[in-house]
Amino acid sequence: MQRRYRTLPELKAHESAQAVSFTDPELACKLTAMGVLPGAMIEMVRKAPFGDAFYVKVDGVRLALRTEEAEQILLTV
Amino acid sequence: MNKDAQQLQPLKVGLVGNPNSGKSTVFNQLTGLRQKTGNFPGVTVEIKEGSFTLPKGRRVSLVDFPGAYSLYPTSSDEKVLAEVLTHTTDPHFPDVLVYIADVTHLEKHLLLFTQILDLQIPAILALNMIDLAAAEGIKITVQPLAAKLGVPVVLVNGRTGENIAQLSAVIEQMESISPVLTKPFYKFSDDETSVSDAIKHNFGISNAYRALLLAHHKDWLPFLNSAEKAILGTITETKQFQSLRAQVEETLSRFDRFTPIVQEAIQHPPVFPTTTTDRIDAVLTHRVAGPFIFVGVMMLVFSCIFYGYEITGGWVEGLMGWLIEKAEAAVAPLQIAWLTDFITKGILEGLKGVLVFVPQVALLSFLIAMLEESGYLTRVVFMFDKMMRRFGMNGRSIVALIGGGACAVPAIKGTRTIGNWKERIITIMVTPFISCSARIPVYMVLIPIALPRAGWWIWAQVFGAMYVLGVVTALASGWVLNKILKTREASFLTLQMPVYRVPHWKNVWLTVMDKVKSFVAGVWKPILIITSALWFLSSFGPGDIAEKAKNSASMDITAGVRTDADRGDLEASYKLEYSWAGKVGKFIEPAIRPLGYDWKIGIGILSSFLAREVFNSTMYVIYSLESVGKKEESAAGDEKPFERYATLKDRMMNDRFRDTDQRIYTTATGLSLLVFYALAMQCMSTLVVVKQETGRWRWAILQFLVMGIMAYLFAWVTFLVAS
Ligand SMILES: Nc1nc2c(ncn2[C@@H]2O[C@H](COP(=O)(O)OP(=O)(O)OP(=O)(O)O)[C@@H](O)[C@H]2O)c(=O)[nH]1
Repeated sequence: MQRRYRTLPELKAHESAQAVSFTDPELACKLTAMGVLPGAMIEMVRKAPFGDAFYVKVDGVRLALRTEEAEQILLTV
Repeated sequence: MNKDAQQLQPLKVGLVGNPNSGKSTVFNQLTGLRQKTGNFPGVTVEIKEGSFTLPKGRRVSLVDFPGAYSLYPTSSDEKVLAEVLTHTTDPHFPDVLVYIADVTHLEKHLLLFTQILDLQIPAILALNMIDLAAAEGIKITVQPLAAKLGVPVVLVNGRTGENIAQLSAVIEQMESISPVLTKPFYKFSDDETSVSDAIKHNFGISNAYRALLLAHHKDWLPFLNSAEKAILGTITETKQFQSLRAQVEETLSRFDRFTPIVQEAIQHPPVFPTTTTDRIDAVLTHRVAGPFIFVGVMMLVFSCIFYGYEITGGWVEGLMGWLIEKAEAAVAPLQIAWLTDFITKGILEGLKGVLVFVPQVALLSFLIAMLEESGYLTRVVFMFDKMMRRFGMNGRSIVALIGGGACAVPAIKGTRTIGNWKERIITIMVTPFISCSARIPVYMVLIPIALPRAGWWIWAQVFGAMYVLGVVTALASGWVLNKILKTREASFLTLQMPVYRVPHWKNVWLTVMDKVKSFVAGVWKPILIITSALWFLSSFGPGDIAEKAKNSASMDITAGVRTDADRGDLEASYKLEYSWAGKVGKFIEPAIRPLGYDWKIGIGILSSFLAREVFNSTMYVIYSLESVGKKEESAAGDEKPFERYATLKDRMMNDRFRDTDQRIYTTATGLSLLVFYALAMQCMSTLVVVKQETGRWRWAILQFLVMGIMAYLFAWVTFLVAS
């Protein structure tokens, strides 16, 4: 069975997708501790003014993530 | 310890919770003004300690731990909690923990709480922000939480103080309640069990989870000695224990277990509506509008600081004038001239150096606390993270740089929120480039001297350009340091943005008080040392300088150069010239001559180590205008700031070099001196704080040298280009 994932930076503004897993273990630690768990719906709110950071919403919690952090978040297609 | 002694010991209570759960607010409610900020030994993480009395009279010493999401820390702030809770003999180890959770996001806030349960520390769960919950239509049933977690649960409102008394009452009962949970909340995997058992056995630890945490944190826990680290290393290696993976597994499993409990206790409305916060953020963090709004906000902040300085500067001058008069009257009967002089010109001058900045620090911490409390600063961090990282800093550094606009001392202390070592060092190193308010009066004197024929409009532009110069050099130095310094520490942004709130006045007020107190505590010693040294250098010299000064003044008056009315001022001026300070000024003259300066400016620069604005009062004395200076300097608050120092300006502009008879203050000298004051590290208090915050004199000395060399070179180039 072939599956393809997207990463968080690929989402357009106001698009949502479900988190599948986190590739970097250290970031996984941090995100899960904040309650961003695999299976959560992540909504892209907007990009930062100078790029390179994202404003997302997860279960009503607002998060700021750098691109290299956001790339570690795999989402359903 | 017997029972009576135990009664006398205050009960140690710790406040823990996730960032932004309202911990500090509850702390303020419980302790009010009976609090102080301290440091954890070794790390520069701030902790607040306070005290209060329980209803039946037992004293409580309360510690506000830095906010943390979990006992698996990712920043030095978070590490403090893990360190204390795994070390039962730590002086901060609590008898009782009060866990503050934001009830509107309870499903995210219980991870750390369940970890604490497994450490078997008596704990109370305080559900905060019940007002917001009510407004959002969230229904709370306490019973399932209390039953399934086995702890007392209290609903509180940190803002109004509702139920805070009840919380105290529950803390009081805690001593007689034994922990209810008999089984650990989290069930270990087989690997974890065997690692934990081995550590329990080797270290004589009874709590299984504490033993497991030692395995996870063996590399950095400071209380472990190398032998203990070696044992832990062997245990984790033979059991092939994979710390990071185990942490994630544990976290997920804890969430799995407490999520149903939360769902039973909390009824959310079915959807998360678009809230006011979203609508505000659509504007404030907008890709185009956001940065412009930020610039607008900053201009507002700086206008406040600037006008604040104008107004309060006058007050401080007035107050000091009065104090000096009183002091003179008090010590005059003793008939000891040097003592009077030391008290009025030494000690009180130093006191003024501190007092001038108190309103500045208060105003700035007030403005920053407002921005912080409202939630706006986190957005600034988000918007500017990328830009600041190019310069080796991160979004949080912006706060320090803004603070540098008032005074670098509190700004540098504020860098403790920056988790990454390298980014923090860079921020500390470049913050003093930002033009602080001590430079304002110096700029006001020098700008009209540099450009005598330009009107106030141009002067104001140049004044603005001085700030730009500061920001540009700060960023450029950051860029360079970024290339030089190396670190392997990961840097994260991953940041929760709180909802927008109207600032809570009690929090803002207590923050301002705390900042002012720690500012005064930090600077009074270096300032006292510097004032005493400067007073000595400028009051004594080879031979009887008072006598020599008297003679020179008389000669000038008989020659008709000056009138008898000027006698006092003239004597003061000659005395300074003949003093050690004058000697030093003349000694360094050859070194600063290429920049266009004479020995008088040398003395000015020397005296600026107290605080840069002392340059002005030194110039008044040198140009025998001491009595005029008092009037002009206290004219702060009038509407023509650039014309305030007119007499001084005229006198300085007519001065000529003795050997070449050329004017000293040409446009080139003026500009060069402006650049020098913008870039040089001339503040003893800042150097002391840099030493405190970095733990080493090394960084302070490096900063002093590099900024000095840069100031010299740039001032020199400016002088050459402009002449
Ligand atoms: N509406 C409401 N707001 C509250 C309540 N308690 C705290 N706040 C606000 O929540 C915000 C965060 O509170 P803090 O006390 O700074 O939170 P903290 O947990 O100490 O945060 P850190 O210092 O980041 O660890 C502040 O703006 C408070 O005014 C409450 O019961 N109701």
